[in-house]
Amino acid sequence: MVSVINTVDTSHEDMIHDAQMDYYGTRLATCSSDRSVKIFDVRNGGQILIADLRGHEGPVWQVAWAHPMYGNILASCSYDRKVIIWKEENGTWEKTHEHTGHDSSVNSVCWAPHDYGLILACGSSDGAISLLTYTGEGQWDVKKINNAHTIGCNAVSWAPAVVPGSLIDQPSGQKPNYIKKFASGGCDNLIKLWKEEEDGQWKEEQKLEAHSDWVRDVAWAPSIGLPTSTIASCSQDGRVFVWTCDDASSNTWSPKLLHKFNDVVWHVSWSITANILAVSESQQNEQ
Amino acid sequence: MEELDGEPIVTLIPGVNSKKKQMCFDWGPGEMLVCETAFNKKGKSETVPSCPFIHIVRKDVDVYSHILRKLFNESHGIFVGLQRIEEELTGKSRKAQLVRVSKNYRSVIRACMEEMHQAAIAAKDPASSRQFSSQVSILSAMELIWNLCEILFIEVAPAGPLLLLLLDWVRLHVCEVDSVLADVLGSENPSKHENFWNLVTILVLQGRLDEARQMLSKEADASPTSAGMCRILGDLMRTMPVLSPGNTQTLTELELKWQHWHEECERHLQDGTFVSSPHLESLCKIMLGDEAALLEQKELLSNWYHFLVTRLLYSHPTVKPIDLHFYAQSSLDLFLGGESNPEPLDNILMAAFEFDIHQVIKECSIALSNWWFVAHLTDLLDHCKLLQSHNLYFGSNMREFLLLEYASGLFSHHSLWQLGVDYFDYCPELGRVSLELHIERIPLSTEQKALKVLRICEQRQMTEQVRSICKILAMKAVRNNRLGSALSWSIRAKDAAFATLVSDRFLRDYCERGCFSDLDLIDNLGPAMMLSDRLTFLGKYREFHRLYGDKRFVDAASLLLSLMTSQIAPRSFWMTLLTDALPLLEQKQVIFSAEQTYELLRCLEDLASRRPVHGEPDAQQLQDDDIETTKVEMLRLSLARNLARAIIKEGSLEGS
Repeated sequence: MVSVINTVDTSHEDMIHDAQMDYYGTRLATCSSDRSVKIFDVRNGGQILIADLRGHEGPVWQVAWAHPMYGNILASCSYDRKVIIWKEENGTWEKTHEHTGHDSSVNSVCWAPHDYGLILACGSSDGAISLLTYTGEGQWDVKKINNAHTIGCNAVSWAPAVVPGSLIDQPSGQKPNYIKKFASGGCDNLIKLWKEEEDGQWKEEQKLEAHSDWVRDVAWAPSIGLPTSTIASCSQDGRVFVWTCDDASSNTWSPKLLHKFNDVVWHVSWSITANILAVSESQQNEQ
Repeated sequence: MEELDGEPIVTLIPGVNSKKKQMCFDWGPGEMLVCETAFNKKGKSETVPSCPFIHIVRKDVDVYSHILRKLFNESHGIFVGLQRIEEELTGKSRKAQLVRVSKNYRSVIRACMEEMHQAAIAAKDPASSRQFSSQVSILSAMELIWNLCEILFIEVAPAGPLLLLLLDWVRLHVCEVDSVLADVLGSENPSKHENFWNLVTILVLQGRLDEARQMLSKEADASPTSAGMCRILGDLMRTMPVLSPGNTQTLTELELKWQHWHEECERHLQDGTFVSSPHLESLCKIMLGDEAALLEQKELLSNWYHFLVTRLLYSHPTVKPIDLHFYAQSSLDLFLGGESNPEPLDNILMAAFEFDIHQVIKECSIALSNWWFVAHLTDLLDHCKLLQSHNLYFGSNMREFLLLEYASGLFSHHSLWQLGVDYFDYCPELGRVSLELHIERIPLSTEQKALKVLRICEQRQMTEQVRSICKILAMKAVRNNRLGSALSWSIRAKDAAFATLVSDRFLRDYCERGCFSDLDLIDNLGPAMMLSDRLTFLGKYREFHRLYGDKRFVDAASLLLSLMTSQIAPRSFWMTLLTDALPLLEQKQVIFSAEQTYELLRCLEDLASRRPVHGEPDAQQLQDDDIETTKVEMLRLSLARNLARAIIKEGSLEGS
């Protein structure tokens, strides 16, 4: 049984496309077709507007909070082909970086696990995926994967950081070698898994085929310590698949059809302990 | 994956017309955000006015109830106690101990009920009063179910004692009797009281025959015409064979005696002994277990399980546990009489009578709004070794699943999360990882809270979480310019890279202001100094200053030199170090030996020759260069002078 505990009046003047709670559940970021990104303090059932961020020239599709160890950082992506990274400095929110490397609407942004550093993946309708890595002193390094998906990329989602097996506590603080991976879904009906090579380039590791129409969203489940990886995907074809891979033995992903809905499924999302998958279909919300 | 065996409840978000608009949502750490939107991404906005509201939806609102909090706190104590004594629970005493635990849980529920009831009475407005009252009835239902489970599953009462326990159970839950009793007894003419016969009837229905007899004697006193009948009925009541605790008679003996008694009652009825008093006759029929007579008292019985127990008392007192469900089902059917359908509570009780534990838990999970009840009951039943391993999708068993759900719910509360930690501890499969995922999400609003969270992580060797939390706090401290705090957090996180960063900031601050902040911290670094080279340098550099302050110049001098020669000092700092050497060089006595002076000279030349060329120097740079050159010249002069004095000193006899 669920209950509504708070209703936040965002005063957005147009359709809201995304709303995200920060890591602790104390702040809410929303973005809208009215081109603004708003941030609210929602502690104790309140709603105080902290920031009204303007900078996009078109509807803003998604927002994503970075891990709190990097401070208060929010990324937003928009139809205006830009990705803007906002940061809170001395109590005020400002634009700290703008990425304009795409030729078409940027549909999805997702921050990598904090263990990898501050890295943002962006998927765009121009079919490319760009990865922005913060290198310090306000500088961001860009890597672009062109033609990741023909026609366009609709969603990106990072794999949880898995500490490599033979990690001994290194006192000099050397960073352990993580294998960075993420998944993307696109208009070519495919889900692709990408892996970072030793030379820093990103390579397509796998193609997951099961959908018969545009893949609208992918979500990599948080790790609960089991030696399996799980990805959920949903598509214009109304299907929601849960893909699992037994990391120990093989690199093969097996899909399992969770449900076939009657209409487009737009969004899938895992709860933080990965025990509930929420799915948003055109007609109604189901858990 | 298991099939859904019931449609999940559709929750309507107020204000959102789910037929017309689409909703988008996302997960927060403990809740879900829902808002209206349209997913068809078009470039231009729609002309239809859109809804600016975002709804925050949560599963476990009960954690916020002030009164229930006591329930959570106290049951937590019982839970942890139970897990701890598990190893000591052996043999015969095991059952007794488990029953005691069960009774403890129930008393906590009752205490909560009482408080809630008081709150309902004291409530200022009817809405909250109603809310409290409904909570009271939910708690009452929970206690009812738990009590029955205790009798059937934990106590495992055999035939004979089973009925006695069921009688207690019913008496506990239909409790208006006592107030009516007091009322009637307290009145002038008890037997003329309007509730008199109702009272006597309910006493008989509940098997409280001694008290019923007492009432009858009052009636006998008041109306002599019925005195004789009252006396006979009273005798029948007195002589009904019951199994009393400690009684040595066997079940068969009891049955035999009971049969005789039953026949005697039957005889009186046939002889028409009570024919002139409809009340007394009806009582006699009840005592014979006559179904029709019992059903006439539906209102007094108030529910089918009361009907069941009364029926058993007066027709099958030695009922066996496995036969219970036959009587239960027929009692339910007879009582409802096809007029109404069973409610969820009825289904749960029926499942219990059928000894279908899993069904009980399942139905309770669906019916109740939070996991408290099923989590604790299932855990207790698990300790009684009653649950087969019932594997769920996640591969964890039912007990663990329920405990995980309950504990996760606690984490959304700003202080109850601490209880949740213990529950996770006792979930062997997924408890640890669930705790890791949840504990990082606790907002660290105060330093105290952060320390509490860290202590919990450190106790469980959750090094990743410790590191992550310390890093978050360290970064926050740096942004607020509290360098000492930042340093201590990065030391606690064992984060060398960050420690280096903070040390650099310290050193930069020193260069700018000429003094250190947070001296205490730097002075007492101890072995933590080894965390990063920069940090070691910071510690040693501070030591140099201390030595200098203590006028231990020779020691200070060697330390200073070793800082440069051992490459611990960053190159950018060398000039500062050399400048620090100046006062030592200018002292009256020779401090740096010739050897050391040569080393210093070497360092200076090294530094001077490596000065970067900046291209077109501007005025500021020229000025800086000037200062640099002057410094270098001064140092060269000092070093040369010192070298001369050192050579002389070492060369002469009394010198070294």
